[in-house]
Amino acid sequence: MKILLMGHPNVGKSVFFNRLTGANVIESNYSGTTVDYTRGYMSLDGKEVEVVDVPGTFSLDPKDRAEEVAVAMLKEAKDAYVICVIDSSKLERGLYLALQIMEEGYSVIIALNMDDVAEDKNIKIDNQKLEQVLGVPVVSTIAIENIGISKVISRLKDAKPVDVEDITVMRAGMNHCGRCGRT
Amino acid sequence: MKLNPDERWDLIDSIARHVVTYGEYRHTLKDAIGELTVKPMTGLPIAIAVMYCFWSVFGSFAGTLCTDGFFVKLFDGYWLPWLQEVFPGKGGWIYSILIDAGGMTNGEFILSDNCFEAFGVLTSGLFVAIGVVLPAIVIFYLMLTLLEDIGYMPRLAVLIDTVLHKIGLHGYAIVPTILSLGCNVPAVTATRILETRKQRFIMMTLLAIFIPCGAQLGIMEEVIPDLIGYVLLYLVIGYFIFGFILNRIVPGKSPEILIDVPQYQKPMMTNVRRKLWMRVSSFFKVAVPFVLLGCVVVNVLYLVGFIQWLGDLLAPVFVGWFGVPKETAGPLIAAFLRKDLAVAQLSVIEMTQYQMLSAVVLVSIYFPCVATFAMMLKEGWKELIGSVAVLTVVVFLYGGIIHLIGKLLGVA
Repeated sequence: MKILLMGHPNVGKSVFFNRLTGANVIESNYSGTTVDYTRGYMSLDGKEVEVVDVPGTFSLDPKDRAEEVAVAMLKEAKDAYVICVIDSSKLERGLYLALQIMEEGYSVIIALNMDDVAEDKNIKIDNQKLEQVLGVPVVSTIAIENIGISKVISRLKDAKPVDVEDITVMRAGMNHCGRCGRT
Repeated sequence: MKLNPDERWDLIDSIARHVVTYGEYRHTLKDAIGELTVKPMTGLPIAIAVMYCFWSVFGSFAGTLCTDGFFVKLFDGYWLPWLQEVFPGKGGWIYSILIDAGGMTNGEFILSDNCFEAFGVLTSGLFVAIGVVLPAIVIFYLMLTLLEDIGYMPRLAVLIDTVLHKIGLHGYAIVPTILSLGCNVPAVTATRILETRKQRFIMMTLLAIFIPCGAQLGIMEEVIPDLIGYVLLYLVIGYFIFGFILNRIVPGKSPEILIDVPQYQKPMMTNVRRKLWMRVSSFFKVAVPFVLLGCVVVNVLYLVGFIQWLGDLLAPVFVGWFGVPKETAGPLIAAFLRKDLAVAQLSVIEMTQYQMLSAVVLVSIYFPCVATFAMMLKEGWKELIGSVAVLTVVVFLYGGIIHLIGKLLGVA
């Protein structure tokens, strides 16, 4: 089993990686700190699992060398689990990458990181609803303070490939949801 | 099933509408500071102040406090005399390599009285590595790490964007540039954040030629404190002139970028400590062996007479074209292994101030150190060959220009 940490630049993938594996890769507060991948190991249910800190990428259509590395990493690990790290205060654009990865058939778990920043900005995300719509586990985290990391680990087993068609159907259902009264 | 970008965005929009609620946004102090540091009117003066602070702290901590205040006293006052005393075989070749090559005056063997002149592996080698370079690297990386973790770097990138576009790069090139001031090796890898091959080539070439590393800055602060400003001025001017030319002649594109400016953050001390340790230790794993090896190689080459021979051979170029003494041949060989060592070696050669200035600039722009060289090879041999070709032209052209400027000013 292999776990890839993916997400936009500067959302905290390297922080996640260090917390998960106890490794030391450089973390900074700017995009493009990680330009190459780093492998590490964590134990999950008594087994050694490989974790890869993948350079940040905005989409699966690479724009620079670091993004090329990211996309190549994903392509060569067909059966990998992907922890998609999203900046909670920028959910929409984070979801774009998450959906792209899901469309490729990977088992995805979403970590809504920097929950504190979103809170500062008064942005609230309904995790349960998001989880229900997407069909993949969604966990709020503040990786830098080690909050939510163990929850991500414990929910890894719930990650499974999802057909985006189900999401679109689900969305159609939500749009016409009589009970909640919203469209 | 796969979606096309429009379908994907539509889907995201409707998901977001259901799961996200936006409260009223309050303008925080963090935002206010964020804006002040990124708008040119206020941002530029702040950037200059930040860089000035960086430089003053670097100089006063590394040079004045640690090196002059402590290590010079320790090494010159105790370590060197003690080793000179207890090590057997004074005047022999092992003694010359490990302790002190000394000098012959009136047929008598005279020991050196400081760790720059001795040039032994255990004297100058250790002194340069621990006494000069260690404090410089520690303080440099401490300040860099703080700037990084606070989130200042992307703001600097925004401010300098326009200028760097003139040399075919963009604001984000400030990241490899500043990293390079610590050590060129990780900076070469950091060029990957640039989009096109053209940009990466220009950046890699410019940093290999014009950006002195932290070790070299530290030693320059120590041995030529009066000249370091001029050296840096020549390097900065060179960086822009040759960047401008490269931008014209290298084929390829230099796209615009969108910079993601993160919120300011309070640096976490655990992270700062860990990062500092990682950078300093990985720097030293590369640096110390090369400094020591450099001492051995240079000493052996002196002993067998190779450097004198090379000096005589290159004398017309050195004296006539660059205007520096032929003895600088030795340091130039050392420079391939370690530039800090080369500057230390230059400092004990008799020459005028302007010759010293020219020689230090030459050591900087001439060949990158071997570790950087290896790193560039890893990024692509075509790029490496290109860079070396550019470098050769630059050394001759710029070295000659510097000599000419000296002549025109009447100081060379």
